[in-house]
Amino acid sequence: MLLLALSLAALQAPATPDYDGFPGLGASRKPIVEIPWNRLYDYDEIYAHLDRLVAQWPEMLSMEVIGHSIESRELRVYTLNNPETGSAESKPAMWIDGNVHGNEVQGGEAVVYTAWYLLENYASNEQVRALVDRTSFYLLPMVNPDGRASWFTGAHTAHSSRTGVMPIDSDRDGLLDEDPPNDLDGDGSIVQMRKHMPGEGTHRLDPDDPRIMNRVPTNDRGIRGDWIYLGQEGIDDDGDGRINEDDVGGYDMNRAWPSMWMPGHVQYGAGPYPLYWPEARCIARFLYEHPNVAAVQSFHNTGGMILRGPGAESFGTYPRGDLRVFDELGAEGEKMLPFYRYMIIAKDLYTVFGGFATWTYEGLGIISFTNELWTMDRNSPDERVEGGNAGRLWFDDNLLQGAGFVDWHPYDHPFYGEIEIGGFKKDVGRVPPTFLIEEMLHRNAMFCLRHARAMPEIEIEEPVLTDLGDGVTAIDVVFRNLNPIPTRTARAASESIGAPDLFTIEGEGVEVLAGGVRSDRFRPERISLAEREPERLVRDSGIGGRQELRIRWFLRGTGTVRIQHSSEKSKDVALEVSLD
Amino acid sequence: MHELLLGLFAAAPLLVPLPATDEPELALLDHQSLTSALAELGSAHPEVATVLNVGTSREGRAIDAIQLSSGDEPGKPAILLVANLDGPDVFDSVVALEHARRLATSYGDDEAITELLRSTTILIIPRANPDAAEARFAATQYERLLGGRGVDNDRDGRSGEDPPSDVDGDGVIVKMRVVDPEGIWIVDPTDERALVKADRKQGEEGKYRVVTEGRDLDGDERIAEDPLLDTRLNKNFPSGWEEHGQDAGLFPSDEPEVRALMEFVMARDDIALVTCYGAPENLVEKPKSVKDDARSVMRIPPAGILQSDADMLAVIAKDYQMLTSNTAKRKARDAGTFQRWAYDHRGLLTLSAVLWEMPEKWAPKKAKGEESSDDESDAESDEETEDATEEMAAEESDEDSPVGDLDKLGYAEGAEGEEDDDAKPKRKAAKGAKAGKKNAKKKKDEPKPSMEAKRLRWIDGSKESWRFVDWKSFEHPELGTVEIGGFAPYALHEPPKSEWSEIAEREFKFLTSLGSYLPRLELTECVANDLGGGLWRIEATVENHSLLPLQSRSARRTRTIRPAKLMLTLPAGAELLGGQARELISDLAGSGGREELVWLVRASSADQIEVSIESVNAGGATVRPEVQ
Repeated sequence: MLLLALSLAALQAPATPDYDGFPGLGASRKPIVEIPWNRLYDYDEIYAHLDRLVAQWPEMLSMEVIGHSIESRELRVYTLNNPETGSAESKPAMWIDGNVHGNEVQGGEAVVYTAWYLLENYASNEQVRALVDRTSFYLLPMVNPDGRASWFTGAHTAHSSRTGVMPIDSDRDGLLDEDPPNDLDGDGSIVQMRKHMPGEGTHRLDPDDPRIMNRVPTNDRGIRGDWIYLGQEGIDDDGDGRINEDDVGGYDMNRAWPSMWMPGHVQYGAGPYPLYWPEARCIARFLYEHPNVAAVQSFHNTGGMILRGPGAESFGTYPRGDLRVFDELGAEGEKMLPFYRYMIIAKDLYTVFGGFATWTYEGLGIISFTNELWTMDRNSPDERVEGGNAGRLWFDDNLLQGAGFVDWHPYDHPFYGEIEIGGFKKDVGRVPPTFLIEEMLHRNAMFCLRHARAMPEIEIEEPVLTDLGDGVTAIDVVFRNLNPIPTRTARAASESIGAPDLFTIEGEGVEVLAGGVRSDRFRPERISLAEREPERLVRDSGIGGRQELRIRWFLRGTGTVRIQHSSEKSKDVALEVSLD
Repeated sequence: MHELLLGLFAAAPLLVPLPATDEPELALLDHQSLTSALAELGSAHPEVATVLNVGTSREGRAIDAIQLSSGDEPGKPAILLVANLDGPDVFDSVVALEHARRLATSYGDDEAITELLRSTTILIIPRANPDAAEARFAATQYERLLGGRGVDNDRDGRSGEDPPSDVDGDGVIVKMRVVDPEGIWIVDPTDERALVKADRKQGEEGKYRVVTEGRDLDGDERIAEDPLLDTRLNKNFPSGWEEHGQDAGLFPSDEPEVRALMEFVMARDDIALVTCYGAPENLVEKPKSVKDDARSVMRIPPAGILQSDADMLAVIAKDYQMLTSNTAKRKARDAGTFQRWAYDHRGLLTLSAVLWEMPEKWAPKKAKGEESSDDESDAESDEETEDATEEMAAEESDEDSPVGDLDKLGYAEGAEGEEDDDAKPKRKAAKGAKAGKKNAKKKKDEPKPSMEAKRLRWIDGSKESWRFVDWKSFEHPELGTVEIGGFAPYALHEPPKSEWSEIAEREFKFLTSLGSYLPRLELTECVANDLGGGLWRIEATVENHSLLPLQSRSARRTRTIRPAKLMLTLPAGAELLGGQARELISDLAGSGGREELVWLVRASSADQIEVSIESVNAGGATVRPEVQ
C-alpha cells in the first residue's frame, strides 16, 4: 500500500528543476527556500524567513502590518492564497498564530513552518494544492514580539517573559518594573539560589544527585536540612525588603479577549478592559474585519495538549453540533500528535477567563484550538526514565551532554551572603531540544492542515426540474457541505454572529413564485415556505457539517436561472440551469 | 427598540424666557455651542478652569472635560462628574455645565467654593455621548439612544435597512398604533390616549399593536425593525457586559467614547469619587448589595455593591435626599454601564442620580358630590405608591408603557420585544414573571389609571402639551390606516423649563458638599522617644476623619488604587533597626480610622528624621517627630 501510494505520488508530481528523484515525504531534499528546522529564531529572523517566502512566491504570499507592539515591533499577518482561484477574502480562511506568551516561542516557528510547507509542496503535492486552491491562510507568527525578543536576548527562566512589556506597577509602590530578577553572575541565565546552612535548612541534597534538592518533611521533628532555597536569582533592587517582586510587565495577553472576560482582580493578567493591549486589539480588529475566517489555531507551550473551550465553568457547555466538530478534530489531533491530549480548558486544565481561542469560538463562532507544543514526555518514552528533575537531568546528561544545566556555583550575595547559584537554563522545559524541533513543527502544521481541510466547502447538485403544468416548474436543488465544519456554527447561529447564509435564484423572464427548504427527501410537500422574497432565502443556521440542504423553488417562465449559495465562511458557489 | 433617525419637534416649546437676572439663562446647547461654552469658561477663568480632552466620538466630536481646581496640594483628591452618557439625557449636560460655570465664577468670591477647589479637584464631563445627544438638535426629533456600528437586527442578511422614520412628516418620530386582532394593547379606560395591555385572563381581547413610527422599507411586514446603529454607549463598558446582548456592542470598549472615558478615569489616579447623572441611579432607590465576603460563584464575584460601601452610599444618599428632595428614579439594569464599571472594576464609589422624572397625577377617589382635584398627586395615595414601586422593581417586567419611550430606551428592559410588536429584537428579551400582576390588581376595583394616564394627567395640568403628540389618523403606505402619536421625544427626560434653575441649584449644593466625604490622611502623634545608646523609638499615627475610608471595599478587592505610602526618611549615618522604611496602607477606615506605626532607629539625633505620608487621592504630609 505504502509503496503504491509513493509511486503514484511520484508519477503525478510535476517535474520541477529541483526534483532529484527522492523528494522526501515531509519536505523536499532540495527545498526552494532552505530554512533549517532544527533551531529557534528571534524576532527579526522569523520575519526574515517569511519575507524570503514572500520573495520566492510573491503571488501566493503577501504581508501586511496590522499593528505594533508596546516596543513598536511589527505585528505582521502573512496571507497565503492562490489569487488564481479567487481572493483570500472570498475563501474560507484559517487563522494561525503563536507566541502570545513571550516565552512560548516555538509557536512562531510552527506558523512559519506551515507557510513554508504549503508553499514548498504546492506544485508537487496534489492534496496540498487542492487545499491551498480552495482556502486561504492568515498567519501571524508572533502575537507578543516584545516578549519573544526579551526571552531570546535577555537573561530569563523557561517561564519568565510570558508577559508583554508595558510597565506595570506589580507591587503597587508607585514604581514600575523596578525589581526584576537579576542575572547576578552574568552568565545569561536566571537560575535558582540556595544557601548552605548546616542543620538549619529546609532542604537536603538528593543522595543520588546533589544537583537536586529535596524538601525535608516538615513533620519530621528534630531533623533539619542543610540548605535553604532562596528562589530565583536576584536582589532587592528597590529596597522594600522583597526580592524580584516587580518584574517587567506583569500581565497575560491570553486573558485579554472579550468573551468571558474578567478584570485583573478576578483573572490575573487580564488588564483593565478587554483588548487593552495594542497587540490584542489589532488582532481583534483584523478578525472582526475578516469574517471569512472559519478555523483558528493558536500555538502555545507546553504540556502536549490540544485545547478547546470553554475556559470558564460558568459558560456551561458548547452546543452539541459544534462539539461533534471539536471532538472529531481533537481525536484526529491526538492521533497525529503523539503525547498530546485533547482537553477542555475549564474542565481538564484550569479556569481561563478571556482566552483567545475561547473568544474566537464564543465571540466569533469559529471552531478554534490552542495547542500546547512540546511535552517533556517526549524526552524519552521509556518508562525507566524517571519523572521530575531526576529524569530531566538524566536527559540533560545523556542527550544534551549537560548543556541545559548550570551547575551550582558559589556567589557572594549582597543580602544573603555566601550562596550558590544553579539550575536549569531557560531552554529546558518549554522548548524542545534542537533535534526534536522539526518533528514538533511538522506534526502541528499537519494538524492545522487537517483542520483547514475541514472548513466548509459547498457544492450544488445538478437540480431536478419538475414540470407542474401551466408554465410552472418546480426546481429541486441540493446544496451539500462536503466537510465537517458548518457554514454557520451552532454558536454563530444561536448568537446571530456575522451574516446568515443566502440561497438565491434568479433568471431573466423567470418569476419565482414560492420557495423553501424541504424537510423530507421523498415528500416534496414537506417544505418550510419562505414568507417573502422566495428568490432570496435567508438561513441563519447555514448548512451543517457534511449535511445537505434541499431547496425547492416554484418558477414561472423559461430561460436560464442562476442559483447561488453565499456564506461568509465558504466560497460562494453558483450554477446555471436552463428551464427549457 | 430601535430608533435611529430623528428630528425636530416642530411643536417643541420655545423656551420661555425667564425674568432677566444676572445669571445666564440655562439652555440646551448643541455640540458646537457646548464646546465653545467650555472653552470660554477655560479662557475666562484660567486660574481655576482647564478644559481637557477626553477623546473623540465615533462621529468625530470631541469629548471635553473641564477641570476646576486651584493649586496643587500633594495627593489632592478629585471628584468626577459624568453626565449625558445616554443620548436622551441632554438636559443633564445643562446642569453639569452650569455647575462648571458656577464653580469657575464663584472661585475667589465665594469662600466655601474657593476652599473646595483648593482642597478638591472637580472634573466635569458634561456630555459623555455627544453623537447621540446631537439628535436633540436635529430637524426631525427623535430620542437617539444608539450609536456604534450597524448590525443586521432582523437577520435578513441586510443591515440597517428598515430604520424608524417620520412617516407623517410632522417633525417627530413617535409611535404608531394599528388596529390588529393580534395586538395586545387596548385603550386605557381612564384615558383614551393611553394604552394598557389587554388582560386575557380577564377575558379582554387586544385591539392594537404598537410600533415605532416608521415604514416597512424591506417589505418583511415588520415596521422599523432594523435601525442603522445598534450599540447603547452605556451598555458597552466591561463590567457585567452582555456578550451578544442587545445593544451591548461588539465587545466592551468598542465604542470610542467608552474607551476614552475609561482611559481618562484610569489616567486620573486622583479621582476619589465618581458621580453620574443618568440611569441607573442609586441615590434614591437603594441598590443591590452583597456581603463583603460574599463568595464567588465559579470564580465570578456576585454582582452588587459590597456591604461596607453600601453603608457609605446609604449615608451619602440620605444626605442627598435631604439636600435635594429629589425622588426621581428610573429603573435600569446596570450591565455594561459606566457606573458599574467605575465601582466594580476601578473600586471608585459611584453616585448616580436621575435628575427628573415626569410626575404622575391622579385625583384620588372622592365621595359623591365632592370635586376631584387634578392638583393632588397620586403619589400621596398609598395604594398607588405601592403600585409604582412594584413597577420599578419589576426589572424584567412587561412594562405597559407602549406610547412612551422610557421602556424603549431600555429603562424597563425586556419590554422591548413586547412593546414594539414589530420590532422583534434579534436578542431574546427576558420575559418577566410579573406580567399581569399589576393588571390583576387593578381589576379588584374601578379601572385604575395606567402610569401613562397619570403622566398625561400631569401634562394636562401643567400646560406642557408639547409632551404628548395626540393620536392622529394617518394612511400608512404599508399598513393602511394607523394612528400616530405618543409621548414626544425627550418629553420624559426634560423637566419643565421653570424647574431647570432649581434642579441645577439643588444638585450644585450636593456636588459641592461631596468634598467633605473624601478621605484625608493626617499624620498625628508623631514622636521620637530617646531610648538611650543612640536608639530612638519613632511612632506615628495616620488618621482619617472623613466619612469615607481610604479605599472602598471594592478598591481593596480590585487593587486598582495605589495604596498610601508611609515613609520614614533617615539622615545620613542613621540606621533603621526595626520596622519598614516604607509601608503601604490601603485599609484605613473613615470616621477616625487610625493606623499606628513604630520604628526603631539608631541615630545621633532625631532632628533630621522625617515621617511622611503620600497618596494619590487622599492628601499627604511630612512631619518631624516631636522629641520626647
